[in-house]
Amino acid sequence: MNGYGGSILRVNLTDGKLTKEPTPAQLAKDFIGGRGFGAYFLFKEVPKGADPLGQENKLIISTGPLSGMLAPGGGKCDWTTKSPLTGGYADASMGGHFTAELKYAGLDSIILEGVSPTPVYLFIETDKILLLDASSLWGKGAIDVEVELKHKYGEEYQVAAIGPGGENQVLYACINHDFGRQAGRGGVGAVMGSKKLKAIVLHGTKSVPVADLEGYRKAGMALYKACKDAEGLAEWSRYGTTIVTTWCNEVGALPTRNFSAGSFELADNINGQAMRNEIVITDKGCFGCPSPCGKYSNMKRYNTQVEGPEYETIGLMGSNLGIGDIQAVAEANRLADDLGIDTISAGSCIGWAMECYEKGILTKADTDGLELKFGNIDAVFALIKKIAYREGKIGNLLALGVKRAAQQVGKGSEKFAIQVKGMEQSAYATHNATAMLLAYMTCDVGAHHNRSWAITYDLQVGRDKVVPEKVARVIWLQNFRPMFDVMGSCRLQWVELGIDRDLYCPLLEAITGVKRSWQDLEAVGNRIWNLTRMYWVRENDSFGREWDLPAQRFYTDPPKTGATAGQITKFEDVQRLLDMYYDQRGWDTNGLPTQGTLETLNLTTLVT
Amino acid sequence: MGLEPHLNKAMTVTIRPLGMLKTYIGELKEISVEAGLSVRETLHLIGINPDLVAGVFVNEELKTKDYILQDGDIVKLLAVIGGG
Repeated sequence: MNGYGGSILRVNLTDGKLTKEPTPAQLAKDFIGGRGFGAYFLFKEVPKGADPLGQENKLIISTGPLSGMLAPGGGKCDWTTKSPLTGGYADASMGGHFTAELKYAGLDSIILEGVSPTPVYLFIETDKILLLDASSLWGKGAIDVEVELKHKYGEEYQVAAIGPGGENQVLYACINHDFGRQAGRGGVGAVMGSKKLKAIVLHGTKSVPVADLEGYRKAGMALYKACKDAEGLAEWSRYGTTIVTTWCNEVGALPTRNFSAGSFELADNINGQAMRNEIVITDKGCFGCPSPCGKYSNMKRYNTQVEGPEYETIGLMGSNLGIGDIQAVAEANRLADDLGIDTISAGSCIGWAMECYEKGILTKADTDGLELKFGNIDAVFALIKKIAYREGKIGNLLALGVKRAAQQVGKGSEKFAIQVKGMEQSAYATHNATAMLLAYMTCDVGAHHNRSWAITYDLQVGRDKVVPEKVARVIWLQNFRPMFDVMGSCRLQWVELGIDRDLYCPLLEAITGVKRSWQDLEAVGNRIWNLTRMYWVRENDSFGREWDLPAQRFYTDPPKTGATAGQITKFEDVQRLLDMYYDQRGWDTNGLPTQGTLETLNLTTLVT
Repeated sequence: MGLEPHLNKAMTVTIRPLGMLKTYIGELKEISVEAGLSVRETLHLIGINPDLVAGVFVNEELKTKDYILQDGDIVKLLAVIGGG
């Protein structure tokens, strides 16, 4: 099948059985790949009510037709599962070089099933596939394991591994690859850990069939040329995602002290310029990337190195914890990466704990003696370790995620647990940015920004306005942006360099032989969005409107300082946003897709 | 005070919006501004919402919007982006 590896690999970790089956042509037609494949397999194969950390849950790794091809940023794969953090749908997109090797091994998806009785790692060398003993790797850091396996097999072998956080099933454990790329969110690393799968080692040597070789070359080169010619390429590549730090601070979107404000007085110490001047050694890109956003950093004070930090980590592990020190943020990043926990969720949990401590809700008796004040760098380092190893009362508490932790602690702490559907909010404060707030409220994995980054639109049309155009914008972005995760390529070339998105259509057609416009692709995006929504409905009997409410802080507790001081979203506006959103999506007033909507999207058979 | 394009009353700077900013504000080239104005003040004067500008590069160096423009400066404006 043109544009595809051609096979789905099933790995049953319970009995060690390895099977391959052809990638169904109808699946490729309806869901294209990546997140589309993941959502389909999850809905179809994981039984209702499955324990996310039990035998029945599956972890599905999927490439797309642009993965490993002559496509800018064609190094993305998607890890899909039932989230142990939220109990709902989760997928996490991962860059690096793993995806290309997966495709060259002839695989479109790996479906990890069951639970191994002992620690193992999966070894794939094109058609040679083995489950091998990982008892000597168990307990080691994810970066250390990658180094060890690269030394054992060779530089061309790609490695994805969990750290102790995944082994200990921290509910937001991540999967690490390429010394600093992650499948970060939703606890995919905890699912991998629950299966006793420490790592995957991968190298492929097959070619990928293409429908129109000359058209492929031309369309691919046109995309690369657009990237290379893009004004702003040098500036973007110099700073990567961290360039947004100063801007977020200016507009009151930089999470500060557990999102109690959106501007941080020490932002200049942790922005892109500070990072570049103080710690960056060199740039780093993923497979096929013409605009590398990754940065390798050296932290002289600690004599350590890390890939990062990205903006999200600066926001959650820096300003959100009251830390205005880029070396400390980068060191926290390194610890979290090696121990295998998501920096966004971990930063949010620690920020919440610090606020609890400063308000007297938690005391030293609860924190194993840690002085959990904002800005206490040593306490942050200690907590990251305690969380990853589930050490002590505080480590065990925060390993559950901020929603469960706040439910356990109570005393009003639920009000400042910054999450939606159980997922900690990423690094945009939304006290007064109603489109971005709605994007977080309705994101299909919980409060994550990558589906719909609508905050620019807030600033264009008026940040507190609650109008149908904003809702339409959020929906359009939700249907459109995740299509990069379906096709298996990075969205940042479109987002950051502003290249013409229509250039992707002839490339996709030349590779697959199927002509698709962006209108067609957005229709697929809409189908997947409704499928993931139905997954939440199926797995949670009480699912509905209440699940889409934002963190209370954003409609009850205006910042006292910074660009958004005194500003807040009214609760009636939160409800109006949902009314308009459900109406435009074709969902009922409780937020459930109607029968008519499911029929229009040809989903009825799959979801009933 | 302020800006009078191409009259060269005080000093000349070149302003270049990059990437997606062009879709909001089009191409801008040489303009004349009074001495002593910051980037932020200049953006207001030429009708660009400073909140839509993520990065200000003056002669290839990243500056804040409080930077006071100098004669002959080449200012590139990078649009807000999508985070991680």
